[in-house]
Amino acid sequence: MIALSEFLILGALLFCLSVAGIFINRKNVIILLMAIELMLLSVNMNFIAFSHYLGDVSGQVFVFFILTVAAAEAAIGLAILVVLFRNRRTINVNNLDSLKG
Amino acid sequence: MEEQLASVSFQVPDMTPALPEIFVLTMACVILVVDLFLTDRNRVITYLMSLATLLGAAILTFSLHTGETVLSFDGSFISDSMADVLKFFIYLVCAAVFIYARQYLIDRQLFKGEFYVLGLFGVLGMMVMVSAHSLLTIYLGLELLALCLYAMVALQRDSGIASEAAMKYFVLGALASGLLLYGMSILYGITGSLDIGDIGAYLAAPGSSDNLALMFAVAFVIVGLAFKLGAVPFHMWIPDVYHGASTPVTLYIGSAPKLAAFALVMRLLVEGMEGLHVHWQDMLIVLAVLSMAAGNVIAIAQGNLKRMLAYSTIAHVGYLLLGILTGVTTGYAASMFYVIVYAIMTLGGFGMIILLSRAGFEAENLEDFKGLNERSPWFAAMMAILMFSMAGVPPFLGFWAKFAVLEAVVRADMVWLAVVAVLFAIIGAYYYLRIIKLMYFDKAEETTPLTSGTDMKLVMSVNGLAVLALGIYPSALLALCAGAMATFGG
Amino acid sequence: MNIEPIIFYFFSAILVAASAAVITVRNPVHAALSLVLAFFTSAIIWVLLEAEFLAITLVLVYVGAVMVLFLFVVMMLDINLVPLREGFIRYLPVGALVAIIMFVEMVIVVGSNRFGLDVFGAGMKHGPDYSNTKELGSVLYTVYVYPFEIAAAILLVAIIAAIALTMRRRPATKFQDPSKQVLVKRNERVRMVKMAAENKTTPNE
Repeated sequence: MIALSEFLILGALLFCLSVAGIFINRKNVIILLMAIELMLLSVNMNFIAFSHYLGDVSGQVFVFFILTVAAAEAAIGLAILVVLFRNRRTINVNNLDSLKG
Repeated sequence: MEEQLASVSFQVPDMTPALPEIFVLTMACVILVVDLFLTDRNRVITYLMSLATLLGAAILTFSLHTGETVLSFDGSFISDSMADVLKFFIYLVCAAVFIYARQYLIDRQLFKGEFYVLGLFGVLGMMVMVSAHSLLTIYLGLELLALCLYAMVALQRDSGIASEAAMKYFVLGALASGLLLYGMSILYGITGSLDIGDIGAYLAAPGSSDNLALMFAVAFVIVGLAFKLGAVPFHMWIPDVYHGASTPVTLYIGSAPKLAAFALVMRLLVEGMEGLHVHWQDMLIVLAVLSMAAGNVIAIAQGNLKRMLAYSTIAHVGYLLLGILTGVTTGYAASMFYVIVYAIMTLGGFGMIILLSRAGFEAENLEDFKGLNERSPWFAAMMAILMFSMAGVPPFLGFWAKFAVLEAVVRADMVWLAVVAVLFAIIGAYYYLRIIKLMYFDKAEETTPLTSGTDMKLVMSVNGLAVLALGIYPSALLALCAGAMATFGG
Repeated sequence: MNIEPIIFYFFSAILVAASAAVITVRNPVHAALSLVLAFFTSAIIWVLLEAEFLAITLVLVYVGAVMVLFLFVVMMLDINLVPLREGFIRYLPVGALVAIIMFVEMVIVVGSNRFGLDVFGAGMKHGPDYSNTKELGSVLYTVYVYPFEIAAAILLVAIIAAIALTMRRRPATKFQDPSKQVLVKRNERVRMVKMAAENKTTPNE
């Protein structure tokens, strides 16, 4: 018998891995985008687990929409990446220093 | 088979309250197709159709306005006074953005249909956010708006700094969405519903809010919202995006989306989680104080006007949060007044940058405003009105906005917070007044006359005079906000 | 003997390892492939949770489309890998520390005493005639018709944005126009020329 908390801990673990990925790969935009996908995966895991244990289908519907939006988001993110690469010949965020915050 | 079909009970939802949304979506699609058949010379048709869309949506919203709260689409859509008022200002602000942007875009070969189509889809996203009544519609509205904004920033394809700004905006925006979603997932797990009304009812029950996991969810939601609003310490993207994007896009990002973001905070924190007010109040206080401090202090060091206005935005977000965190109706009304005033002032501020710029000259540095009084006394006066208003000098509109939120804070027995806010407002006044000094007391380096079109000059003048006129008679707008907020809080 | 916990722990272990690989491997292509593995194993775990439709969607949409797009972009852009690794070691301790602290906090919050078996039970198990797809479908176009329409607008925006950002018109490119090819007339291709008859020539000339 698997408890809900075990799925949630798995989701939390994925979430923390993605946060760590954003921290340590802050120079590489492609890996950053993948880390964000990982974060959404952890959220989806949470929603589906809750949906199953609550016996309520709306959590799964939410995941359906997150998947849709994330696909659209990935398309736009990669399009911006391509535009950036054409302008700068690099995706290294370190070289992207004309804007200093 | 028939038996199974019968088991699906389906009532066609009442679509009347959502007519403005349906109209904007339809028109955006029509414009998208019409634009394909236009040559660059006829592109002005796209522009006029976009303005007509906003006008039509405004008429629809106005004629559907009843002042009553109507839920539709199984509770995922809400139409109430706050939604109608905010939508009305969103149309108004976006129409002004479209008018301001036209000449700038033509001069730089950026006058494409995509700018207006994405702009209209962004308007749709904001309308969805304003009328959202479930976690799902909140998220979808937010993403619809955000995706349009990322693309609009990158639309200036040959500019390295614009694409760089777009990438930064995208990564941080997606991260913020992830954090917000994680918070929403926990909230869903505890309350068992995506509906804001159900969540509010669950959390209002005594004893239900005493849960560590709920505080955890609130923390994630607030961090996500703070990213989207640009509150310190989650503000890193604002100066870079405002600076990197072309000025019309900065104008768009800086003005109307803040109205939608305010609605988002109201729906999530106030309508959904009012039962947790004690928990989120402390977090908002920290965000507000940090934003007012960092925004006003760092703005002084900026030589680029767009960056300066970006930090000024961060400071304004701090003041905006002051009203919300009081947790009472008058505070919410004060914040709503503040955000509307902010949108009108920002419109004018970035509008002036566009007005002064021409092809090959961006007019985004402070020096470019030197001696503006000699070149055009009228627009120097408009800029002066806007800057006085942003600084919060009476009798301009910005003063009443600051006054309203400070009054709400004092009434909530947080006098120290009001004192801190006034202190940083005085620091902030320095950099606004510096621009007035540059315009009136410095010698002009640029002597070219202003080249913008008549429509832009006209709207700009109306914009400036509105700040003055509404500042002298603020009671109508204040009453409008108080009326719109009547259903919120106790 | 219940097999579910064994499946869960086995695939969770693979999922975590694959996710760790995504953020640590040197080559973006390997990272993308690790992410594919993570999606596959997640899909299996979702099947355990009786979300079959979403599990299949995850594989079809994510592995089939999104990750292919990622791989396509990674290979299309000629990325110099060496400088991208700079700072990896420097940020590693901070990143790991933040992640570990966060994880401990999150486990305290979502751990067993709040979301355990005694609170939430064992979850809803459906019979063999249950169709997850049908259940989702029956609400998607009725209760959730408004979000569904917004999602359609989001996808349209993604199409517009991706095309507006990346399409370049090169004037020098040559391309075929099938409608022109089909509609071509005989006298556009063949020109009849009247010429005077040639004189007969001798081969050795």
